[in-house]
Amino acid sequence: MTTETPQKGKILLLATLSGGYRGADMVGQGHMDYPPNTYILPVMSSAIFPPKFYIDAFEKGFDAITVMYSGTDSPYKGESEKTAEIINETYEKMKELNLDLRRLRLAAICTVCVRPFLEEVQRAESLLEEIGPLPRPLAKQGVAANVN
Amino acid sequence: MPEEIVNTQAQNPKEDEPRIGVYVCNCGGNIGDVVKCEHVARTLERLPNVVVSRDNMFMCSDPGQKMIADDIKEKGVNRVVIGACSIFLHEQTFRRTLERAGLNPYLYYHIGLREQVSWVHHGTPKEATEKSIRMMAAGIAKARNMKPLEPVRLPAHRQALVIGGGVAGLRSALDLARRGLKVTLVEKSHYLGGHMAQWERVFPTNEEARPLLKRLIDQVLAEPNITIHTGAEVIGAKGYVGNYNVTIRQTPRGVRETFPNEQEAIDVCPIKRRKRFDFGLSTSKAIYRTYTGCVPESLVIDWETCTKCGECVKVAPEGMINLDEEAQEFTVDVGAVVLATGFQPYEPFYGEMGWKEFPEVITLPQLHRLLDDEGPTQGKFWWNGHPVKNVAIIHCVGSRQVEGVHRAQPDGNVNNYCSRVCCTASLSMASLIRQKAPDAKIYEVFEDIRAYGRGHEDYYTRASKNNVTFLRYFAEEIPEVRRADEKAEHPLLVKVRDHLTWGEEIEIPVDLVVLSVGMMPNPVQDLMEIFKVTPGSDRFLLEVHPKLRPVETAVNGVVLAGTAQGPMNIQESCAAASAAASKVSALIEQAKVELEPYVARVDPDKCQGSGECVKVCPQEEAIELKTFSENGNTFQRAVVTPANCNGCGVCVSACPNRAIDVQGWRLDEYEAMVSAIAADIPAWEGAA
Amino acid sequence: MSTNQIKVDALVVGGGISGMQTALDLGDQGYKVAVVERKSSIGGKMIDLSKVFPTLDCCSCITTPKMSATAHHDNITLLTYSEIESINRDGNGFKVQATKKPRYVREDDCTGCRSCELVCPLEVSEDEHEFGRTSHRVVYVPFSTAVPQKALVDLDHCLFCGKCIQACPSDAIDFTQQPEPVEIETRSIVLATGFETTPINAKKEYGAGKLRNVISGMMMERLLAPTGPYGRVLRPSDGKMPASIAYVQCAGSRDQTLGVPYCSRVCCMYAIKQAMLLSGALPLAEITIYYMDIRTFGKGYEQFYQNAKAMGVEFLKGKVARITEDENQNPIVRVELIDEFGKTRVTERQHDLVVLSVGLLPGGNPQPKFGVPVGEDGFVQVPDYNVFPAVTSQPGIFVTGAAAGPMDIVDSIMMAGAAASSAASYLEAGNGSRKEAQRQPERSVEYA
Repeated sequence: MTTETPQKGKILLLATLSGGYRGADMVGQGHMDYPPNTYILPVMSSAIFPPKFYIDAFEKGFDAITVMYSGTDSPYKGESEKTAEIINETYEKMKELNLDLRRLRLAAICTVCVRPFLEEVQRAESLLEEIGPLPRPLAKQGVAANVN
Repeated sequence: MPEEIVNTQAQNPKEDEPRIGVYVCNCGGNIGDVVKCEHVARTLERLPNVVVSRDNMFMCSDPGQKMIADDIKEKGVNRVVIGACSIFLHEQTFRRTLERAGLNPYLYYHIGLREQVSWVHHGTPKEATEKSIRMMAAGIAKARNMKPLEPVRLPAHRQALVIGGGVAGLRSALDLARRGLKVTLVEKSHYLGGHMAQWERVFPTNEEARPLLKRLIDQVLAEPNITIHTGAEVIGAKGYVGNYNVTIRQTPRGVRETFPNEQEAIDVCPIKRRKRFDFGLSTSKAIYRTYTGCVPESLVIDWETCTKCGECVKVAPEGMINLDEEAQEFTVDVGAVVLATGFQPYEPFYGEMGWKEFPEVITLPQLHRLLDDEGPTQGKFWWNGHPVKNVAIIHCVGSRQVEGVHRAQPDGNVNNYCSRVCCTASLSMASLIRQKAPDAKIYEVFEDIRAYGRGHEDYYTRASKNNVTFLRYFAEEIPEVRRADEKAEHPLLVKVRDHLTWGEEIEIPVDLVVLSVGMMPNPVQDLMEIFKVTPGSDRFLLEVHPKLRPVETAVNGVVLAGTAQGPMNIQESCAAASAAASKVSALIEQAKVELEPYVARVDPDKCQGSGECVKVCPQEEAIELKTFSENGNTFQRAVVTPANCNGCGVCVSACPNRAIDVQGWRLDEYEAMVSAIAADIPAWEGAA
Repeated sequence: MSTNQIKVDALVVGGGISGMQTALDLGDQGYKVAVVERKSSIGGKMIDLSKVFPTLDCCSCITTPKMSATAHHDNITLLTYSEIESINRDGNGFKVQATKKPRYVREDDCTGCRSCELVCPLEVSEDEHEFGRTSHRVVYVPFSTAVPQKALVDLDHCLFCGKCIQACPSDAIDFTQQPEPVEIETRSIVLATGFETTPINAKKEYGAGKLRNVISGMMMERLLAPTGPYGRVLRPSDGKMPASIAYVQCAGSRDQTLGVPYCSRVCCMYAIKQAMLLSGALPLAEITIYYMDIRTFGKGYEQFYQNAKAMGVEFLKGKVARITEDENQNPIVRVELIDEFGKTRVTERQHDLVVLSVGLLPGGNPQPKFGVPVGEDGFVQVPDYNVFPAVTSQPGIFVTGAAAGPMDIVDSIMMAGAAASSAASYLEAGNGSRKEAQRQPERSVEYA
């Protein structure tokens, strides 16, 4: 993976504390390199974010978002299903805004998922290399704001 | 239901204005060699609400922690953001630092600059530094919005309910009581001790079961903290961990206490019934004593067969027997529940290896009764009025079943599990038979001999030395039991293809066949519904984790003891029961339960009572709509029961009015963080 | 109070899974606990394992949180790299003398950053954690998930070049460190001294440890672990990927010639687990398990065994008489087989790699130091075995885990709860209970 990082755009990684966030720590403990345009935020539950949150994040300056949730390892009943449901709803909003759906991804990352974590980062990096950062504002004024 | 004693959101401190302290750790170069920590600290200094911004070689060291504490006390810092190693390493350390300095420990946010920045971006120090600034800025943005939190603290009854008076329930109750907790012990039957009272002896110590049990029961009776209800069942419960209100229904015993002319009362009873305690091998009257020395000791009426003819009342002392007593219902308040509901022996179906088809086929539990001095033959190894000369013990009846080979249970599943105790139990019975009938031919017909425990293997070796014949079969070829010719010396033949010799088909003539039946859980559907616990695919109650948390259930405050969770021998049941007591003690010993504050909270000003949160909530009784009235208007608002909420946050995204959030991880905090990361950082431009 | 004097309610001897769980169960109930661990990290044997049966959870992933919970618990004091020297009864309690062995690294200052390790010029072969299959520097953090994450110096191999001293950012290296006596005043003791496995050279019929491609079950655990030496399964003699692997069950258990008549209880399941993991790691490899009885008795174990059979693992009933090797160092197993038609025949089969399912031996004899007698099997004697499984014949001394006989993880966890409960009962019955004063007023309990 290249470490020469022309800023291709920003990648937001929402990683569950019971899954992907620990996986990211494992990657660090292994001193494995990945580009620094990646911003990892820990989340207790991946199900709290409504579609508007993702659209807003794109509007604010993120060009790709990967939700690293716990999948079947989730400690919360219903978290994974709800997260998947929200992501699907968000895809509908993204279509309305003419956004490439590949910019938002849901991936199950476990606490020791070193390779899958790096693969997800690589996937987002390659995507941005291919389609570039988002032009902003996303669409004509007001559209994003109406998204719930 | 008790009131919450502390609101989960603490009172705001006097200083409402956030005064943020920012600390960047070098980690002895682990971070500092890549990230220019000083530069990060200087840049962040310029952000609004930041009062101090420092870098340090080791924030986690005592001097590092003291620096934070001093800033809290001297500079009025009321929010702390630390960039250091992983959140999992030192979050607790720094929380305690805040607490010691008098600040709410939840007013702190941790950014992992080592595992997630310096260690993964060592080739790009400039970008790593910029990333650190952005991540720290996100932390600062979150800190501005942070509110002090308190763990959910609920008062708890320092009292536990133990359901089941077998050896596991007794053992749990004893440990809890000795720990200083009050215990209510509920037993469905009219005597204590469960199945253990029915066994002739126990392995691997070869002790007689009932004296051993009696010693345990005596210790339980000596505990003033334990209240025992026999003939009692739990019929309902409300509440949650720390605060259960449980309804118990107790059927009357009919007999007040022991009295001198008991035998006379028994003799006049005209009813004969099969004695369940002897697994139907003997009969008793409808007024009977379960066994000599049982606890409680007095006689008991079997209401199923009693016709209330009143003959016994006439001969017994005045008021001693009351046939018209009603069942009683009462409630107890407890903080936690131990399910020690035990097992039942597998009941073969008609014709399974001759069961019920031939009277000479019995089960291992029946053999225990047969060899018991107080049993139907007073301990003689006789059957049908004759000494037993040849006996075959067939293993794995009702255990290790194979789909397609064995008949399924009513739920459609076969018992594909090992029942764990039957191998050694069978071997120990073989050794007892050898004592009672030195010349008997004993056959053990088995798949694998699982004498796994301490001292178990000795029974196996001893059996071989004792002339016990071992015949091995494969699960796919179940042994057959059939009637021998009328003239034959032994009434039954057991046909088995023996894999220890040459795979020969052998027919062994026997007087008695003993089916070494496995364990099935006692049917406790009602209790599962009451306490919301679930069974596994083997129908035994399900633990949280079969490896690491074997006695806890998914319901906080409900634990498992003994064979309710899976097949176990007495020693294992006692260990599990003690472990269950340990969990309960830890939970309610302090008379309060403390839960993480990361639970949903409704903003009553924003809530419009849409009920979306209630619809999506996957937890039981965590959120509900309540009707309020104010100035003559009635309206509905969502109300969270923090004890039942696990903070999954499904409601947050569902709320159309953004009126609900998971405390500590609020949506507006995330929005602020996302904005902060995306924002320009002008100070970086032109820096070295 | 200086760190050299510790006053606790319970002292747990041994920081493996059972010791940690006992400490947590007691600590959670409000008792002060000290854990003394001989090695430089807690975690015991469990942290060496690859995955656990029957859930196939990654072992590090489920052990490390327990280790960290133990280390960070308010009521638990951890003494690693320490030995118990002597115990003396003192009134209702005990005075225990322990020694903290010198790490030559000041624990309070070391941050586990491993800068020292990077500059240390000398590697020594690792025998504790990797069974000689890998090496570590002279100054090293024991392993990546060790608790505490603190370096120590292997002084026997040190060249005293001083590079680590220069490299250490927190000035933690200290070659002048001496063994440090620690006095622990405790009201009760829990023995969690665990087990050892049968040495690989115990049985001369199985090559007495001289056959290079005959390894023990524990070595296979390391080969299969994600943190293991090669990151994959290779056989020792030539680094070849084995195409045929055999397990020899009861290699050190149920064997009178070794003086171990008992069943070690875990070997059937760990062999089956490894067989399953191997069929994942080496999909083309043929795996055979030679056994006397398959003892998969625990919850979910029988189903696990049936799954392994369905996956194609070959189970052959028969006692392995001898293992030799051919000119290519391929092990040859001589076995008396009982086939599915019940025919018994002696046969020799060649494999690439043989794993001895070694048994469990007592982790040490507690009699001399603790006055606790052991049974004929060498494990701690438990007088009221059935009803009080964690109570030894010495008042105030309890036992948990494999110190009380071979036991798997879940049974060790149950025993830990039992030991904690029994110790708590003992502490509450004791005179001058310090807990009494702190206790909350009792709520009145109302009966309807």
